[in-house]
This record gives sequence, C-alpha cells and structure tokens, in this order.
Amino acid sequence: MGIDFDLLHKVKGLIECPEPDKDIRRFDANLRLFPPFLDNDVCPITIKNTLLQSCYLRNTEWACGVAVYTGNETKLGMTRGVPEPKLTAVDAMIDKLTGAIFVFQLVVVMVLGVAGNIWKDTEARKLWYVEYPTKGPWYELLVIPLRFELLCSIMIPISIKVSLDLVKGLYAKFIDWDNKMVDQETSTPAHAANTAISEDLGQVEYILTDKTGTLTENQMIFKRCCISGTFYGNEIGDALKDEDLVNAVATRSPDVIHFLTVMAICNTVVPIQRQNGTILYKAQSQDEEALVHAAAGLHMVFVKKNGNVLDINFNASVIQYEVLDTLEFTSDRKRMSVVVKDCQSGKLFLLSKGADEAILPCASTGQQTRTFSEAVEQYSQLGLRTLCLAWRELEEDEYQEWSLMFKEANSALVDRDWRIAEVCQRLEHHLQILGVAAIEDRLQDGVPETIETLRKAGINFWMLTGDKQNTAIQIALSCNFVSPEPKGQLLLINGKTGDEVRQSLERVLLTMRITSSEPKDVAFVIDGWALEIALKHHHKAFMELALLSKTAICCRVTPSQKAQLVELLKSCEYRTLAIGDGGNDVRMIQQAHIGVGISGREGLQAARAADYSIGKFRFLKRLILVHGRYSYNRTAFLSQYSFYKSLLICFIQIFFSLISGVSGTSLFNSVSLMAYNVFYTSVPVLVNVLDKDLSERTVMQHPQILFYCQAGRLLNPSTFAGWFGRSLFHAIVVFVICIHSYAFEKSEMEELSMVVLSGCIWLQAFVVALETNSFTILQHLAIWGNLVAFYVINWIVSALPSSGMYTIMFRLCRQPSYWITMFLIVVAGMGPVLALKYFRYTYRPSKINILRQAERLGGPILSLGNIEPQSRAFEKEVSPLSISQPKSRSPVYEPLLSDSPNAIRRSFGPGAPFDFFQSQSRLSSSYARNCKDN
Amino acid sequence: MSSGEGSSQPSSKKSRQPKYSRFTQQELPACKPILTPGLVVTTFILVGVIFIPIGLLSLSASERVVEIVDRYDEDCIPSDQEKTAFIQSDKTNKTCVRSLTVPKKMQHPVYIYYQLDNFYQNHRRYVKSRSDKQLRNPENEDLTSPCEPEARVDNKPIVPCGLVAWSLFNDTYGFSVSGMNLSVNKKDIAWDSDKNYKFGSKVYPKNFQQGSLIGGGKLDEKIPLSEQEDLLVWMRTAALPSFRKLYGRIEQDLEANETITVVIQNNYNAYAFGGKKKLVLSTTTWIGGKNSFLGLGYITIGGLCLFIATTFIVMYLIKPRPYGDPSYLSWNRNPPGN
Repeated sequence: MGIDFDLLHKVKGLIECPEPDKDIRRFDANLRLFPPFLDNDVCPITIKNTLLQSCYLRNTEWACGVAVYTGNETKLGMTRGVPEPKLTAVDAMIDKLTGAIFVFQLVVVMVLGVAGNIWKDTEARKLWYVEYPTKGPWYELLVIPLRFELLCSIMIPISIKVSLDLVKGLYAKFIDWDNKMVDQETSTPAHAANTAISEDLGQVEYILTDKTGTLTENQMIFKRCCISGTFYGNEIGDALKDEDLVNAVATRSPDVIHFLTVMAICNTVVPIQRQNGTILYKAQSQDEEALVHAAAGLHMVFVKKNGNVLDINFNASVIQYEVLDTLEFTSDRKRMSVVVKDCQSGKLFLLSKGADEAILPCASTGQQTRTFSEAVEQYSQLGLRTLCLAWRELEEDEYQEWSLMFKEANSALVDRDWRIAEVCQRLEHHLQILGVAAIEDRLQDGVPETIETLRKAGINFWMLTGDKQNTAIQIALSCNFVSPEPKGQLLLINGKTGDEVRQSLERVLLTMRITSSEPKDVAFVIDGWALEIALKHHHKAFMELALLSKTAICCRVTPSQKAQLVELLKSCEYRTLAIGDGGNDVRMIQQAHIGVGISGREGLQAARAADYSIGKFRFLKRLILVHGRYSYNRTAFLSQYSFYKSLLICFIQIFFSLISGVSGTSLFNSVSLMAYNVFYTSVPVLVNVLDKDLSERTVMQHPQILFYCQAGRLLNPSTFAGWFGRSLFHAIVVFVICIHSYAFEKSEMEELSMVVLSGCIWLQAFVVALETNSFTILQHLAIWGNLVAFYVINWIVSALPSSGMYTIMFRLCRQPSYWITMFLIVVAGMGPVLALKYFRYTYRPSKINILRQAERLGGPILSLGNIEPQSRAFEKEVSPLSISQPKSRSPVYEPLLSDSPNAIRRSFGPGAPFDFFQSQSRLSSSYARNCKDN
Repeated sequence: MSSGEGSSQPSSKKSRQPKYSRFTQQELPACKPILTPGLVVTTFILVGVIFIPIGLLSLSASERVVEIVDRYDEDCIPSDQEKTAFIQSDKTNKTCVRSLTVPKKMQHPVYIYYQLDNFYQNHRRYVKSRSDKQLRNPENEDLTSPCEPEARVDNKPIVPCGLVAWSLFNDTYGFSVSGMNLSVNKKDIAWDSDKNYKFGSKVYPKNFQQGSLIGGGKLDEKIPLSEQEDLLVWMRTAALPSFRKLYGRIEQDLEANETITVVIQNNYNAYAFGGKKKLVLSTTTWIGGKNSFLGLGYITIGGLCLFIATTFIVMYLIKPRPYGDPSYLSWNRNPPGN
C-alpha cells in the first residue's frame, strides 16, 4: 500500500474477521484503514495475506502484521481439538475387574442377606439372649443385607487408587530421572507430562511417526557426488573432504566447475550477508540450501543476489550471472531449471537439476547415462536423496523464441500449469548430464536400530508425513521401516478419482490377503489424496487393510488426516502411540493413546502437547521397552495383589459370618480393618515399583518379550482368576487353622481376630516375597520391616488401656501356640503356591522365565537375527561387488508377481552386508518402477 | 501469527538434568533368586524336617492333657416335664448330681470350664449390646445407648447394661471326692486387664435383672464389677458358637479312677435354642488345653512337604529340564506378533 516505514506505527484501522475456525484454506476478512491512510475503503483480506501459526518466515528480515487470532483461537489452535482424558488399557482392565468384583460382592450380599434373614426367622428368634423383637420395623428385611454390604465393602480395595497413583507418579519420575534418556547435545531430559499412562507404553501395538525431525535430524547435508563418472566421497563418506574433488576444483576441471555452478545458482536461494561476514542462506527447500552450502564449501560461494543478478565468488574472482527465467519445480515435473546469462561472456545457459527419472531421459543423445543411473542406484541404496545436475548452452535465437512462448504460457488463463510444463519441456532437452549429487537428510542416531528393535517387539509402524512419496519411501527404507526385499514388499495405493483408488485398494487388499499367511512384511504406501477418498468412500476396505498391514507409509497427509488415521487404528482396538516433533503433529499426538513429542528443531509445540517428551527418537526404545514394560509389569502385580489382599480379608469375614449366625458380625475391629488396607498391606507392594523381572539389557536384546505386555498376559481375567483363587485358598487356610487351633477356651473374640489378622499379614509378606523378582535392600526392608512394624504397631495399640484390644497382642505373643499357628498358616498357605509356581516355572515356562534363567546362568543369550550386523552395514562402505551387480530390475508392476524364488532365504547371517544391499536395491528399484508406471 | 518457537530452545531445561543416583536410575543392587530345583527341593525338605518334630511335640503335649467332659443338660432335667417351662420356673428344684471318673492322674491346677454349644455369643446383636464406658466408670452410668434392648428399666439405667451381661451364665457346680468337698478357687479366673482396667472397681451393679424379662444370673449389688469375675469371664465374648469359659480351679491333684461327685445347679436356659451344656475338667500344658489340631496339622503339612520334595526330585530325574535353553525362545519360528 506504500506506507512509509516511519508511519507504520501510526496506522489505525479495523479488521473485520470471521469467528475463529479451523479451515486453513479460507480466511475472508476485511480491512478498513482510518484516515489519513485510506478513507474507510474496504480492502479484502484473504488467506494469501495471512501467516498461520508456527509458520517460519524466510527471505525477509522483517514483516508487519497484526495478530488476528491468538492462543487457542488460531487456525492451528482450533484444529488441535480438545484432548480427551486418557485411560490406560491397564486401568480399563482394572475397572472391568472392579466391576466384576462389585457384581460378585452384590451376589454375596444378596445370598448372605437372604440366608441371614432365613436364619434369623428360623433360628435367631429362638435365641432368647439375642432378644429379637417379634415385630420389627418395616425395613427389617433390609437390615441384614445392608450389614453384609458394609462388611463386604472392603472387597473393592479403595487403596488401589491411591497406590496406583503413587506408583504411577514414580514411574513418571523414573522417566524424568533417567540419565540414559538425556539428549546430550541439548541436555534435554525426557519428561513425562502425563503421569497416569506409563503402563500403556508397554502395551503399544502401533507407532505412528512423523518423518522430518522425528526420524531425521531435519538437516540436509551434501554428502557424495558423481561427476562425469568419477565418484567423490565414497571412501570417507563426505565429498567435501575428498581430496580428489578438492584437487579437481583447484585444477579447474571444467566438469567439476560446471557442476559447482549448477549447485550454486540453479535454485531459489537468497543469500543474506550477516554483519560478521558470514552468509546465511534462506531457502524454501532444504535440499537447495544443502547444495549451496556444499558449493560454498568448495569455494564456489554464492554471495549476493541483486534482483536477477547473482554474484558468485569463485577463488576470489567474482562471476556474475543474470537469471533470465526460472522454470519452477513442480511435483509432476520433478525438476527445476534456470536460464542464466553469464554477464562476462554473454552466453546463455540452461541449468537443470531434478530427480533422475526426470533428468536422465532428457540427456543429449550422444551421452552415456549408465554411470549416472548406477550412481543414483548406489546412493539411494545408502538412503541418500539424489539430484541429477545437468546443463546446456542455449543459442540466443532459441531462447528468444522459447521466451515468448514461456511468457504466453505464464499468462494463460486455462490450464496454465499444464501449458507451462509443456513449454518448459521444449527447452529441457539435449541436456548434458554433469553428475549426481547425493544429499543426506541425516537420520537421527540410532533410528534404524530403534525401529528394528521395536518392530521385533511386535510393534507396527506407520509413517505419516507431509513429505512427498519418494522421500518418505527413501527414509522408510533406510530406517528399517520395511524389511529388505525378499521379505518386504511395498504396495502403492494411489489414484485421483474414487474409482482409481478403489481399484488400487482392492488390488492391494488382494495381495495382502494372499501374503498374510506368509512370513512376509508387506507395507502399503498411500498419499493424502487417495487417503481422503479411501477414508470417505471405502472405509471398510481401508479398515481391513489397516488390520492386515503392519506397516504403512502415508505421505502428503494433513494434520487432521494424521489424527484420522490414529482414530482408525484406535477403532480397531489397537493401542497407538504417536510421535512427532512439530505443530502439525499435535492433533495426532493428542488423539493417540500415547503422544510422544520430540523436543527438536521445530519448537516445543509437540513436546508440550504430548504425554511424554524425549530429546531424540532413539529414546523411544528405552521408553517403551524399559519404562513401559516395567510399569506394566509392576502395575499388573500391584493391582492384582491389591484385589487379592482385600478379597482375602473379605472372604474371612464371610466365613466368620457363617459361624456367627449369619448376622454380619465383623471379626476384626475397625482400627485393624482400616490399618490393614492402609499400612499393613500397602507398603510392601509399593516397593514393588523397584521390581525388575528381567534386566534392561536382556529386554533390549530380546524385545520380543514385550509381547507379554502387549497381549496383556500379566493382567487379564484369567490371571485375575488365579489371584482370586489364591485369596480364597489363603482365606480358607487362615480361617480353618485359626478356628481350630483357637477353639474352646481360647476362642475369645479379640484374640481370635488378632490371630487371624496376623495370619493374613504373614501370608501377605510371603506372597509379596514370592512374587518379587529382584530384591533390593528397599524391598527387604519393606517386606520384612512391614511384618515387624505390624507387631510394633499392635504392641503399641495393645499397650493403650482405652483401646479395645488392650493387652491382647502381648498375651498372644507369649503363647507358643500362637507362633506355631503362624508358621502352620505360612507353610500351608505358601507351600502349594510355591510348588505350583515351581512346576510352571520349570515345566511350563513362559519366555520371561526362560530369559530369567538364562540371565542367571551367565549372560543373556543372543537370539537369531540380532540387529547388530545390519545396523553396522549401513555405516560400511558399499562393497564394489554390489555396484557391479547387474541390475536386478525385476519389474513388479503387479505386486503378485514379485515372489522371488529365494524369498524364504534369510537375509541375516554372515553375509549380511552384501545380501542386504542387494536385496534392498531390488526393492527400491521395484517401487521406483511402481511409481513410474502408476 | 506467532512465528517460530524454534528459537526458544529448551535452555530452561538445562538445569533440570537429572542427578545420578542408583535409585533414580533403578540400578539398586538386587538379588534375583530364581526357582532352581535345588532351592525349591531343599526348601520343602527343610520345612518337612522341621515341621514333623514340632508336630510330634505338639501332639504329645496335647495328649498329656487329661480332660473330662460331661454333658449334663439333658440328664439334669426331668424327662416328663416340658424343658423350657421347667428351667424358667422359680419353684422347681434344679439341683442335679453327676459323678465323674478321673481317667488318669490330673495334676493341679485342674481347670473347671463350662462349655456351651450352639450358643452364639458372636451374634452381631449380642456382641454390640454392651457399654464399655459404663463398665469402667460410675459417671458413665447413663451411657446405655448401645445396650438396647437391655438398656434401661423404668427409665433407670441398668448397670451392667446390655444383652451380654443380662444373659450371664448362672449354673453353679460343687465338687466332692469321696465325701470330701473339693474347694473351687474362683479367684483370678478373669483377665487381669479386665479386672484392673476394663471393669471399674467403683462401678456397682444397679437395676440388674429387674426388668420383666429375666435373662441369666444375678449380681450382688454390694460387690463392684471388677470383682465379679464370673461376669468378667462371661463378658469376654467367644468368637465361636461353641466355647468354654473358665469357672474356677481345683488346686489339688486328682488321682486316677477317683470318682468326683458334682452337684450342679442347673439354672441356665439352653433348652430354648437347643444348646448343649457341658462341664469340663482339664489340665494344661505349654500348648494349652487338649487340642490335637496343631500337632496333626504340622505332621500332615510336614509330610506333604516331603512328598512334594520327593515328587520334584523324581520329576527332575525322569525329565530333567535344562534351564534357560535358548531353543525354547522360538521368536523366529513363531513370531509373537501374530
């Protein structure tokens, strides 16, 4: 509008904007500026005038703006949605079991209530010493059931909630405290914002991960190149340090110089001179930034951009180029070009860069492109992004002629994109291929190993990325997302119309169904557009696909689609974990059962919205396998134990009521009952938070063991039935032994009650001890100290004359028969439990048991398919063998045909590196074909 | 239009880097016992070996106890009369003479118990019907609310109130051996704690058994509650429907084959509810009265432990099972994900 800089802060006006909504494609508002700037003229403001939250501004030092929406009213804030309160599977199971116990309690109350009323009418009325009135009040029939309700109310342990909250808090603290999850670079510790869902970490079945910034560092670095047949950077892994290349630059080898020139100027990068002399490059694409940086590293420094004139500083001499036209990159063309004029010589050049399939076919007829395509192949095997660079000198006439057409196409109103593409193609031919540049979007440390380990643990991975398909697949391959070829297979779903998508979907489904019985690792790849159609029109088919497929790569998806996919998996009853680092992952993170945020380059939005935030992706392994697994195991024990102890005391009350005229007398006094739940039984089990069934190392080596947690093997109705049975058995043991050894002249109420109570406490201590896998000093203190504390507390209470149980405990402790009774209870109660446990442990061992035994025998054993050789293979140099392999382009347009004869052969073992690369090359090439053909 | 929180790196977190300690890293040294055959079998054998002698000791102690049990409720009532009417009447003569033979020498002190069967002292209505505060302190005389329905008579508080006291057992026994009276020591039959604390020495019975319904025994209003030891014993309610309560002690030895004549005042109404009344004379040992349960229990459990241990040894010999064999880890053959 042409307002002076000085006047900016004096601008007054009014913006009429709609109510906040979440549509990021629309913004229809009006702006009125007050005089003297504009006389109440209404200027329309559209989405083009807006900056959305969490956007980055590049290529400008400043911008003026007005905040229209803030906080949660921003478009992003509105899309974020309201996070639902999260309930872990374990909690849900505990709730279910509580419900079952509640029903059981009601049944008990009903049965005993009816029995009590019958007994009262038949027997109790004869007991003159009870003086039942002949005619009671109207609610008389309810009195006995209600008494039993009171008596049985301890059946549902209230203490479980308190104990669980305590231990969950501690699980979260353990995560916060964990030194092994501190990102040393930024010294960011892991943090558990949600303290309530640690158990779910151990039950994760699906991990939905963002790509950029989550799996990768989000830093592109130029690593290798192949210039006219010569490979640079292969030996040391970094072309910039390759002496051959440095020498070639020094000797001004023309191919190399051209290559560098294309790297430096075939882009839309804007250099910004900073005050200290360094140059900051601002680029839309990080690839371009990487190339420009690399060129600068090789003394071809892109210094300045004045309008269309570019200043290149090469070995202290300045070369100027004028950019005449920019043939922009589109995802269809997969290449971009610039037409430049060398200001010195006035010559015109076309400089192009792009994907190999977009550049190599345009090569001049005479040129051999085989070395380049081999280079592309080799680099992509290494997980590098490749760009082919090419150039051509243009004749003045040719350019002038073309320039007119280009201008015309640019101003076309109909089919402009298509026409521009067509015009561009007229110029981009007979290119001289200069070479291939390989750029690494470096994976974060340990990503392939982490994914490999977690996949072995039975966790399925879905990659949801806003990035384009090729990049997504590249990264998926390089980080073990998909197994190498004989085992792994990629199926593409695409199409622009409903029918195409349907056909594609059906074909993939068919393949999936056939291969689902085989030990194959099939992944599907879908883009956002097809996903939209699939979710809307073919929801059922897509659901089936989601159920069948363990791996999926979804590219070009929007934040809300990410959330939709999470929702889809959740509706299939899967436990989902979403991990991401940026604002666009927030919804997915909130939607999933567990949201993990990476506090990385893209800010802390994801980390703030997440339940857990970690510094690097690789910590996910430890978060799930160590913290999640331990939390699950511990909670499984703690919750069932809580039920066990409450049921135990309740069963005893029920038994006692059977011999007390079904009248609802409580055997225990109220103090003991309260202390039973609060002190005597809750302390030992709380220390269970330190229990470790297997060492962290063993779990890391055998991630498959997580299966026990995922499938909920340690807390389910049948394990609960075991605990239920145990409490019934123990109640019978305690009760029968006590009433027989304390019969007749000893059957005093207070005494018997304390004998029974101490019998229960002794059993508790031994049950906890038997179920504890690793005893630290704290556990010993808690278990045995608690037993001692029980006596100390009761001695103290017995010493108080005002208490009901005055002198009782002292009397008991003096009786030999008391101690004899206790030992009898312990042995009779624990003997069968120990025998059964030993039998199972030895003859029906679970995998956990075997690993414990192995651990004890001296060092964990290595299972087959250890991940070590593979991960190392990545760092190793490509063996020359694999390069000279004839191209194994097995065309797999129809996925069904791709069953290679050696499909069963394992790719692990001694020959791993070679085998691995070969197979991967076949995979990458096969889907490259897929991409093209589809 | 906030642009980029990326620059605000988590500098605040730097200080929060966790400190190392073995507890926070969950690295406390731990011992991980595993159930090896050796450990388990040894445990069972050890328990068995310890338990059987203890069982034998307890059993022999219980066997040494000499006990005479005589059920008299049926015989002490004329068979031609209606039982409840007989026992409730004031006019009937309820004296009853029984003779007991001493099977073995009984060393003093010989404890005299009365045993009631099918008497629910643990019934909720009954157990609750007492006021401990009232029993302790004369000032709390009026605290009779828990005592319903035996709380007040003519709106005057009953001391001691409640069903428990009201139903006080009131049969009496007189013993003689060959014409010589055996003195019964009724001192110190109640718990010291009850005498010294629970029942006040200044609390005297008041309005006791004055109501329309007469329950059990009466109390001498001149003697404070703390010295009414029969009441104290009775008010230690029994947890089981069949119980014995101490009546007194005979402080002299009873020789074998002596005949003891017991004169029973059969006052207490156990007929209405089909209860049984028994008189028990018993000696005692370190384990208490005659109760073979613990001894038998120990021997049974000890035997079972040895049996289990043997079974495990046999199983181990027949079918040894290598521990921690990796071949059982069949991840690859049978991927757990399916």
